[in-house]
Amino acid sequence: MKMLKAIIRPNKVDDVKDALAKLNIAGMTVTEVRGHGKQKGHTAIYRGKEYNVSLLPKMEVEVVVPENLAEDAIKAIIGAARTGEIGDGRVFVMPVSETYRIRTGEMEL
Amino acid sequence: MSLSSSASGADAPHPGSAPRAIFDAARTELRVDVARGAGGRAALERYSDRVDGLIRQIYADAHPPASPVAILALGGYGRRHLCLHSDIDLLVLFGSTIDVEAERFLRAFLHPLWDLGVVIGHQVRELADFATLEEDNPEFLLALLDARAVAGARELFDRFADAFHTASTHAFILKSLLQLMETRHAGFNSTLYQLEPDVKESPGALRDLAATRTIAMLTDPLLLRRGPADPARVDAAEDFLLRVRTTLHLVAERNHNVLSHELQERVSEMLGYPGTETRIRVERLMSDYFRHARIVNRSLEWARKTAPVPVGPNIGLSREGIRFLDQVQAARNPASWLGAFQAAIDHGTEVSEEALSCIQQHVDRYRADDFFPQADDRRAVLRLLKPVPGIYERLSEMHDCGLLGRVFPEFQAISWRVVRDFYHKYTVDEHTLLTIRNLERTGAATEGSRRRFQSILSGLAEPELLVLALLLHDVGKWRDDDHAIESERMAAEVVERLQLAPDQRDLVLFLIRHHLRMSLVAFRRDTEDPEIVRNFAGFIGTEDRLKMLCLMTLVDVEAVSPETLTSWKEELLWRLYVDTYNHLTQRYGDELIHRSQAELDQVLRGRPDNLSEAEITQFLEGLPQRYLQLFSREAVYRHVRLARDIKPDQVHLSVEAADGIWQLVVVTLDKPFLFSNICGVLSSFGMNILRGHALTNPNGLVLDVFQFTDDEQFLQLNPDGSSQMLQVLEDVVSARADVTQRLRGRERGVLKGVARFSPVVRADNNASARYTIVDIVASNALGLLYRISRVISQHGCEVDLVLIATEGEKAIDVFHITKAGAKLTDPEQQALTSDLQRTLEETL
Repeated sequence: MKMLKAIIRPNKVDDVKDALAKLNIAGMTVTEVRGHGKQKGHTAIYRGKEYNVSLLPKMEVEVVVPENLAEDAIKAIIGAARTGEIGDGRVFVMPVSETYRIRTGEMEL
Repeated sequence: MSLSSSASGADAPHPGSAPRAIFDAARTELRVDVARGAGGRAALERYSDRVDGLIRQIYADAHPPASPVAILALGGYGRRHLCLHSDIDLLVLFGSTIDVEAERFLRAFLHPLWDLGVVIGHQVRELADFATLEEDNPEFLLALLDARAVAGARELFDRFADAFHTASTHAFILKSLLQLMETRHAGFNSTLYQLEPDVKESPGALRDLAATRTIAMLTDPLLLRRGPADPARVDAAEDFLLRVRTTLHLVAERNHNVLSHELQERVSEMLGYPGTETRIRVERLMSDYFRHARIVNRSLEWARKTAPVPVGPNIGLSREGIRFLDQVQAARNPASWLGAFQAAIDHGTEVSEEALSCIQQHVDRYRADDFFPQADDRRAVLRLLKPVPGIYERLSEMHDCGLLGRVFPEFQAISWRVVRDFYHKYTVDEHTLLTIRNLERTGAATEGSRRRFQSILSGLAEPELLVLALLLHDVGKWRDDDHAIESERMAAEVVERLQLAPDQRDLVLFLIRHHLRMSLVAFRRDTEDPEIVRNFAGFIGTEDRLKMLCLMTLVDVEAVSPETLTSWKEELLWRLYVDTYNHLTQRYGDELIHRSQAELDQVLRGRPDNLSEAEITQFLEGLPQRYLQLFSREAVYRHVRLARDIKPDQVHLSVEAADGIWQLVVVTLDKPFLFSNICGVLSSFGMNILRGHALTNPNGLVLDVFQFTDDEQFLQLNPDGSSQMLQVLEDVVSARADVTQRLRGRERGVLKGVARFSPVVRADNNASARYTIVDIVASNALGLLYRISRVISQHGCEVDLVLIATEGEKAIDVFHITKAGAKLTDPEQQALTSDLQRTLEETL
């Protein structure tokens, strides 16, 4: 299993969710986060005064998928979240060795 | 005249007897009563009635004039407690101007009284005098509270009573009474336990007793029934004190009120105190005195602490909060109910349970219109909606007692309404009220990320319209379909009833209709895409709408549940606000009206017969598109007419006023220093510029629209004021006159001002494709725009577009400038901004 952690633009969450749903990936965790990568913060100016905006609002989407679906899922996320501009975000892929269902305590493979 | 020595007193003289006979008989009768220890209330009332008869006779003998006149008994005489040697306080009241005939009557009336040797304390007034309160004469005002008609025109007395007994007068008298009392008590070291008390002035004596009754009368007539002493004991204390006082008068043969050691012996004997020794009789008298004085003292203290302070018509501030002074009257006057909630907000308190139950009991009898029948009442509704501390609590009280749903039946439709969705945690009515609470809290924010929204709120000219929009934004949720459209439809009926001005109406309905729009764009659209911001700015149109919609979105999201508004969402909303604000103020110069535009087409189609298509197109083409959002079509047509046949050095203008704000529209042809000259002329007439727009079209036609206050009332006081202003404008624009000269005297006064905050000047070449944008935020001051724009012109820059705004003390101006048709270079920008900075700092 793989855990995919995607940092995307806030307005792309619905698109990413729909794209994953098409692959029958339903479970996901969405978190409001802030950060910056190559798209450094910029300076906002309001009424002549500068406001430094170093961390940008982003959404983090986490899904755990079977190995055989991981590649398609990554493609789906990229396809849905992409605008071609700086600030489109990243997808991180991590191996997952075990998962447990808390209600029953059983391990899932 | 015969005197009877019997206890029943003297026979009354026949009507028509000489005044002397009537007066002597009355005094003799009182003397007899006093001598047998019975000079209390009953005797004084009888004596006062006899004196009334005397006054009536003298009045008749004086042949009153044809115009109405009334004789009023004041103070103690008004209360029918006239003592043997007290002054007789009278008010001679004339219904109209005092003329020769009235003066003749006055002499004929007063002379016989003086001849009797009576000390008359007389005041003469015309009814019209009571239009203003004699604040420098509080003793007279207090005496007027006891005014009683003795002779003359009863109808005139009634008119006086109507004019005099107002809530504000009562409030003033109450305040004065408490001050006078404090001073008087201080003279006695604030203790009633005086060895030689003054039975009139000492703490616990007669004046305090009258004060207790006055406080009750002014605030709550039933107050003393709930007091520490049975009212019968207060009456007994009064009777005792009056008996002592009349005895003192009889013994001293003058208006003497101090119960000195020597007089204590005489008085105790005359009042029949038992005891073989003088010492014992005196002790018994004084122990009675202190017992009664203590009752008076305690009643007065109770009244002072418990009495509601009058704070509005039939509205008092008490320890329980705001109360109706007279519940029966309140029940009949629903328009006064909103006043109770306003008073609670103004005094930082709540509306008392008693008042709330009174409203709850009667509210179903009234319809929405009954609560604001007059224009003043409608204004009061809007005032009540200002987002100040306490508004949420008061609106909740209004809702709980059923008033809110009666004043706004539309709101009643969502009472306890449950709409099941994944997000909302409260009923629709409570969600709505919470949005207003959130706005109230935003207004009070002093630090943290909320401070920036607070600054938006504090800059709104009419924040109550936002609260009205919030109150109604979800009323359409009584149905299950698209609630924003239904809310707007229902709100249209409310704004109709409140008779809002067309622009206020449009604003409220726009906010309600589109209350979800900004959260959609901020949270669901890519706001880093300039096109998204451009479209949103185009949709919003003006900064005022943007500010209100931004605040509305903030507090609406926050009221969904405690978790809904995260700091992350707050940040997204703020960014969309700033980007849109910047677009509206800095980029509108890039979007010009062009021939094929749909809006232009609409203006052309609706044009009046006397305007040609060519004329309109020539005027509009090349002006920023924003122009059509700022001004109504009628205003556009007026501007086109104003621009007709304009020639170099000519100035066409129109001046009009609405609600104390003047609007000046100037049309002329562009030339260097033009904007600065126009601002200078306005300032030289003392005009305080609040808002405005300066626009230039590619043909060099300049349209400036200024809104300003005429603080010195120049235009109001001079019928030809606007033509004088036109003359000066033309002289200055055509360089026949020098505006600097005109302003010199005025500027000197301004330059001494105190720095309130340091000015901000910033130039930007990136915001607009065509212009260098100069943002200026500074303390507002007379001639500020003139000084700024003069510096810009001195740097050889052309001023094409200017946005002028004022928020309280703060002036916010955005200039769109070029130099030789291009944006300024970096060194040029630096030179200009540092010069501007210096100029603004000199102003402070």
